[in-house]
Amino acid sequence: MIQQDREKRRALILLQVVIYGYLLVMFLIQLRLWSQRGW
Amino acid sequence: MSETSTDDLPLGTPKEFRRLHTIIRRVCYVLLFGLVVEGALTFPLLAIWYGVPELTPAEVCDELQKVMYSDDTRECETHDLDSPPFGGTAEAQNQTTAEDIWKVQPTPLYPRVGFRELVENKREREAEEGG
Amino acid sequence: MTIEDEPTTATTGAGGIGYDDHVEESRLAQRAADKWMIPGTVLMGTAILGVFGLPLFLRGLFLQRRAQLGGLSVRPTIVTLIGYMVMLDGALNTFGWAIDLFASHTYMSRIFLPTWGNMFDAGYFWHYNELAVGGAGAPGEKAWEVLGIFVVFPMRIAACIGFLQMKRWGHQWMIVTCWTGMLMWMGYVANMTMYADIRFTGVVFPVLGWWIYDIFYITPFVAIPYLHTVNREIFTD
Repeated sequence: MIQQDREKRRALILLQVVIYGYLLVMFLIQLRLWSQRGW
Repeated sequence: MSETSTDDLPLGTPKEFRRLHTIIRRVCYVLLFGLVVEGALTFPLLAIWYGVPELTPAEVCDELQKVMYSDDTRECETHDLDSPPFGGTAEAQNQTTAEDIWKVQPTPLYPRVGFRELVENKREREAEEGG
Repeated sequence: MTIEDEPTTATTGAGGIGYDDHVEESRLAQRAADKWMIPGTVLMGTAILGVFGLPLFLRGLFLQRRAQLGGLSVRPTIVTLIGYMVMLDGALNTFGWAIDLFASHTYMSRIFLPTWGNMFDAGYFWHYNELAVGGAGAPGEKAWEVLGIFVVFPMRIAACIGFLQMKRWGHQWMIVTCWTGMLMWMGYVANMTMYADIRFTGVVFPVLGWWIYDIFYITPFVAIPYLHTVNREIFTD
């Protein structure tokens, strides 16, 4: 039971890292383009 | 169904996830207040930046269209119910004045609209037309 | 309904009342709280009247919390928050996209969307109303709008209703709709990035403006961990 919870917690943390990481990467890409193209 | 829990856990929150749920609840409050404040400030911000009250909203629409399609004669017209998507042609469907660099990822060429610059635009244009 | 039985000690607050009475009193307290929260959320969903909606909503939340402290079986605060927030999120998005899809040639649409677009996201400014169907012409934008208006947001509203009623199907639909919310975000942002020149050239507040504005719509992301860790037993059939 506890093992399951621990695995679930780990999976959820991984999910959060992935999705917010994705948004952050997109944001950084856009910033990079902004600095390159001077919008 | 209601348990007198000595831990004072919210209903449905297992002990292991209490902190997680507290964080989520607090984040929700932040998002809620953020959305409300943002919603309230959007219209005033847009109105002021684009020249209201010196320009009426309809005039703002006109001026913006001129920038959008790089065409000083363009205006916001009224349309009846027979307009897209229900019928009729789109307002700018056959326009020819817009300036872009056309490639697979197009680049627009219109200028940025500064703070209340639309008011300036209108004034300058009317001065030119008058003089 | 419950069978008339001998009273059980079901509450801490009002010592010694029967279970039926407890259920009824809880139901009424919940209803009283929702009577404030629903109009509050509706007003907040209009954006401009949002500041009037927030106090109403908070009052409802306060009433619910008071009932909770009094030992009544009301909805957990977090379920309330997530349920109404996701609904608010859906309502605010729906408004913008609905007028872009269906009312693109009205004054309201042409004044609000291109100005917002000119300031934050030129997808709603660039060649506005040039498409035969009207509205925003940015590549891919209409597709996302159709997906949102016809699939995701209706499902979201339904999910919230069920979720707020503490129904099992509500919880399940909420999980689905929050994951689809995630898909929408990820796909939408990728599309914006592909056509970043269109979306950000000439914009008053490029990149930062859009992100600061739209980051508050991230409730589905935030709700997912809760939905997967809550004790499902609290949601009934």
